[in-house]
Amino acid sequence: MWRSSNAVLLLAQQTDAASRVGSGAMLMLVLFIAGSLWIGVLANRAASAGGFMKGFFLGNRGLGVWALALTATIQSGGTFMGFPSLVYSHGWIVALWIGSYMVVPITGFGILGKRLAQLSRRTGAITVPDMFRVRFGSPTLGLMSTLFILFYLSFLMFAQFKAGAIVLQLAWPGGTDLALSEDGAGISEWRYHVGLLVFATTVVGYTLAGGFLAAVWTDLFQSVLMFAGVMLLLVASLSAVGGLEQATLRSLENTGPGFVFGPGYAADGGDHQFLPLSLAISFFVVWIWGGVGAPAGLVRLMASQNTNVIRKSIYVLSIYNLGIYLPLIVICVCGRALLPNLAKSDEIVPRLALLTTAGWPGGSLVAGLILAAPFGAVMSTVSSYLVVLSSGVVRDIYQRFLRPQAQRDELRMAAWLTMILAGLISVAVMWSPPKYLQVFIVFSTSGAAATFLVPAIMACYWRRATPAGAAAGMISGAVVVLFLYLCGIMGWSPAQAIGAAGGFRPWFLLGLEPLIWGLLASSSSAVLVSLLTAPLPAEHISRLFDRRASAEGEAV
Amino acid sequence: MWHRPGVRESGRGMMAEESGQQDDRLDPLVRSAFREALVVSLIWLAAMVWSVGVSWWLGYGRSVQDLKLVLGFPEWVFWGIVVPWVSCAGISWLFAVCFVRDGELGEDLEDADDLGLGG
Repeated sequence: MWRSSNAVLLLAQQTDAASRVGSGAMLMLVLFIAGSLWIGVLANRAASAGGFMKGFFLGNRGLGVWALALTATIQSGGTFMGFPSLVYSHGWIVALWIGSYMVVPITGFGILGKRLAQLSRRTGAITVPDMFRVRFGSPTLGLMSTLFILFYLSFLMFAQFKAGAIVLQLAWPGGTDLALSEDGAGISEWRYHVGLLVFATTVVGYTLAGGFLAAVWTDLFQSVLMFAGVMLLLVASLSAVGGLEQATLRSLENTGPGFVFGPGYAADGGDHQFLPLSLAISFFVVWIWGGVGAPAGLVRLMASQNTNVIRKSIYVLSIYNLGIYLPLIVICVCGRALLPNLAKSDEIVPRLALLTTAGWPGGSLVAGLILAAPFGAVMSTVSSYLVVLSSGVVRDIYQRFLRPQAQRDELRMAAWLTMILAGLISVAVMWSPPKYLQVFIVFSTSGAAATFLVPAIMACYWRRATPAGAAAGMISGAVVVLFLYLCGIMGWSPAQAIGAAGGFRPWFLLGLEPLIWGLLASSSSAVLVSLLTAPLPAEHISRLFDRRASAEGEAV
Repeated sequence: MWHRPGVRESGRGMMAEESGQQDDRLDPLVRSAFREALVVSLIWLAAMVWSVGVSWWLGYGRSVQDLKLVLGFPEWVFWGIVVPWVSCAGISWLFAVCFVRDGELGEDLEDADDLGLGG
């Protein structure tokens, strides 16, 4: 009885709330865009001291604790947007799926942070390919890393442009859709195109002005907003449902045993297993080592101010992750209790925000903040990709191979042109967007980690690693991940009822994520080829691993 | 061109931490970073074994009658996710404060071509 009468009430509230979402969300988005442009101007001033390349692409190695902690290891906007939908669809098991984030702070900074920050200084590296080039004494390897980065980042960039345009379109006053789903249902074409142009102009504009620092500071800005939004929503949802115990029991009533036990709930009642044991283990590897090997994260470690900053970032991020991920799971379980039958599971967070803050003073602004947060995540993600992409073209190709004698103004112009061109290409490609792009985001993230993780670890800690070994590691990791994704997408692999449901999935060979096979191939081939090829000159290695003559006798 | 001939080759040593003469020359920051990376990897492994192990033991293949709640969380979530997550936050703090050693990162190499790479 409770359920039927309340369902009517909830439906009425949702319909009313949906009509009000546009103004609140659009106001928050306009504020967010204005804030980001202002950050771009501030970053421009901060980065203009010293050389252009180090200032624009690396923020003069000046990242402090908050900037490093909250931006170096957090995943892209896409990850944050899809996560609540998974909890709503599959239940408490998603806590195990994301559980490895408990060690992300310590692994993200503790495995490569200190050494990479030192190595990048010893090599004078501004970009990741720069670091590989000098560490391994091989321009060929540097060029190869640049090409890999450009390849992966292109996919990631295009997908994020589409996501940014969709958020703007949904926030349009009068709009009632709240999901970020890619199925295109109800999408108005001209609003999408206006959204795409506004998004592209904003993000390219402030990144052009402030470079690396603009990307990092907007990232920090959105991380703080996201934290505030999650805390507010946690209080609102728990009080609406009457506590966590009620939320768990009521969501169980609304679904089935799979919602509270492994391997997870399947709405169609079929035998699909969201998280069998093999995938539970896989995700403990994927999130951790995928994060450590992500090129955009590696650059931020290179930009850290000193070891004290890296050390403090570990516990700042620990507190942040604890305050974001577990509460988000609780929020979405409350969502399943309060809104049991959403047609689009991606809508859970905004719908819940609208429902639970309806009676609050300024409630529509809170809902707007929560809807605007993914837009911030997407914008800062694109901004950081633009910087990495532009640094790859300008530093690793233009300056290294085409115009080594180029001066500051010429390099600045080249960087700006690259970003504008990347923006124009992204707008052109996404003008008529392909239907599903999420698979490319996942593929590019896994592929980049499989390509760069092992060579980066070898670069930092293994004296005997050779350029041929690093190249073998990059190529084999990339090829294996690409092959497993192709097998899944093209239907060459046997049908598997595991993992998140969706049309495009990789081949989970032996039930494991492709990244695991990529890392196995990458590490074994990198070690084998290194041992079979001639080591680097001792003087070269000594410069990068040993005490410097001037530092002799200094205590650590 | 992976290797320039005519230059003395480095030893057959493996990881950054090695014994003997090479170890004496090794930058202390490289040594401490390597040691910390090993400890972090062990913490990751322990977290994985605990979290996946407990969740599997208490949370898979069960029926509704087996459901026990602890502070509103299903029992397996509480012991397999919440408790290790809070523990990891504490361990991360201890690790950062007590175990990680600060060190001098050094000055930027002004011109990477000092290393003779060209191109």
